[in-house]
Amino acid sequence: MPKIYLLDIAHGRSGDKGDTSNVCVFARKPEYYDLIIREVTPKRLKSYFGDMVKGDITRYEVESLSGINLVMHHALGGGATMSLRLDSLGKSMGSAVMRMKINVSKEELDELLSNGMELMEFEDPYAKE
Amino acid sequence: MKKIAIGGGQGFWGDSPDAAIHMIRNADIQYLACDYLAELTLSIMARQKIKDPSKGYAPDFVTRLLKEAGKEAKDKGIKIITNAGGMNVDGCVSAIKNWAEGESLKGYKIGYVTGDDIKDKIPELIKEGWDFPSMDTAGSTDDSGVTFDDIKDKIYNCNAYVGHVKIKEAIAEGADTVITGRAADSALFLAPLAHEFGWEENDWDNLAKGIMAGHLLECGGQGAGGNFMYDWRNVPDMEHLGFPIAELTKDSFEITKAPNCGGIISEQSVKEQFLYEVLDPANYLTPDVNVDISHARLIQNGENRVRVENIKGKERPDTIKLCVGYHKGWKTVSMLSFAWPNAYEKAKMCAEVIMNKMKEKGMKADDVHISFIGLDALHLDVADKSPETIARLNECVMRIAVFSEDKNECAKIIPEISPLQLNGPQGASFFGGRAHVQEVMALYPTVIPRDALDVRSHIVTI
Repeated sequence: MPKIYLLDIAHGRSGDKGDTSNVCVFARKPEYYDLIIREVTPKRLKSYFGDMVKGDITRYEVESLSGINLVMHHALGGGATMSLRLDSLGKSMGSAVMRMKINVSKEELDELLSNGMELMEFEDPYAKE
Repeated sequence: MKKIAIGGGQGFWGDSPDAAIHMIRNADIQYLACDYLAELTLSIMARQKIKDPSKGYAPDFVTRLLKEAGKEAKDKGIKIITNAGGMNVDGCVSAIKNWAEGESLKGYKIGYVTGDDIKDKIPELIKEGWDFPSMDTAGSTDDSGVTFDDIKDKIYNCNAYVGHVKIKEAIAEGADTVITGRAADSALFLAPLAHEFGWEENDWDNLAKGIMAGHLLECGGQGAGGNFMYDWRNVPDMEHLGFPIAELTKDSFEITKAPNCGGIISEQSVKEQFLYEVLDPANYLTPDVNVDISHARLIQNGENRVRVENIKGKERPDTIKLCVGYHKGWKTVSMLSFAWPNAYEKAKMCAEVIMNKMKEKGMKADDVHISFIGLDALHLDVADKSPETIARLNECVMRIAVFSEDKNECAKIIPEISPLQLNGPQGASFFGGRAHVQEVMALYPTVIPRDALDVRSHIVTI
């Protein structure tokens, strides 16, 4: 199955509240929203982040903005004050989410590309893993 | 129809005053609100105040903003609201007083709000039976296992997030500028809007609208094309990034920016700020109102202009969030850089050598975090660490961060880093001088009943 980066169809921003990372994700076009809902599930995210996000992940849907808000607990190594990470505020958690590869069918990929979706450089979504 | 425009002049303590000055000079605004306080800022200010009682507020508000454009703001009738008072509202007020007298601004009115700092009241509240539960305003229990009893002797600051009511009162009394301590960021923006439009304290939908105006403005440039993922390459004139402005009438709410400045106000730029740090969009809790933006709409309405619709409000929470900062321990960060070939392999071996040495020397660290800048220091587990990527790395910086409750234990690693230039894997380059031990402060999440607070507004006239 072809894979694309979530970044190819979405944008967003990350912020922090203590050790909680909050990443909002918006469809670059409203028609991509359903794909985001299908692919960017808390379960998928939890397995994607592994040990980096130690707590639960909650997803809130805001259809009127074609977006979701991801709330990830114990995700910042203790949070702004205590984290030993270089990125203690999780400013790059947004791009970390966007880096997740999502599955699309060949037909969906064809349609996304004909719709003007831009891919990251040097990436071939049709390539077999 | 009455239209009120308010600008967001500052995203945090240390932010540039350029956009605020530009707004005062070029934008048709009646109010400017400047947020200086992030979650941890008050603890830093509290520590400064212990060392020097005249400190503990954001002096930049006076030295970099008022000195530059405060008089123009006064002449144009632009009122400025800020939480620059931090841990020392009195100190901030007296600095403003000195400035206003120096500028001969006779009649200049400084409003200020007190009552957020409740550190001295803690023993009394404990006696009355309040146990400072480890929880946030949403009522979710914190599971870190830290109790108030554990931290109560190590507290630097204990401040309540106060709402807009007393700020509004100071504005109503004619203040040219209003200074607060730990007011909720968005309350600085809600207060003038509630004053101008006569919103009552239980007018939930309108209060929610005012909060969202504040939310979209309180991070300054981030609301106008800064930190913008969607199309970051094409944000116009970033070196003159404008900060956002909210324009409201009785029944419209739009975000725009000043003329003749950089940045962008588009559906996407507003969206990225809209849900930023909101947690549950149907229950965005503030001291003034529980905001529901789960069905909100953003509509582009001309160049650099976005209309915000369908914001709802629900009754405010009974409890108020407290910002409690306490001493946690010490940390130090050490780095060494390596170049191709095998940059990562060398950096990794170097970290192993150092950590083995520290083990032999008996360093008692409570936590150690090792990462490699250029490879995985930011994206950690989700970074691309394929053999191809690692083999092609031009350079890589080893980074070791150590936390200990004991300052001396933490310091043990510091002299062990630079020797690796001669005693470690080939090509280690030491930079930035010897590391320092920094104090680690932590935040304890808790709430207090609303009626435990005694918030008041005051006015000083020059």
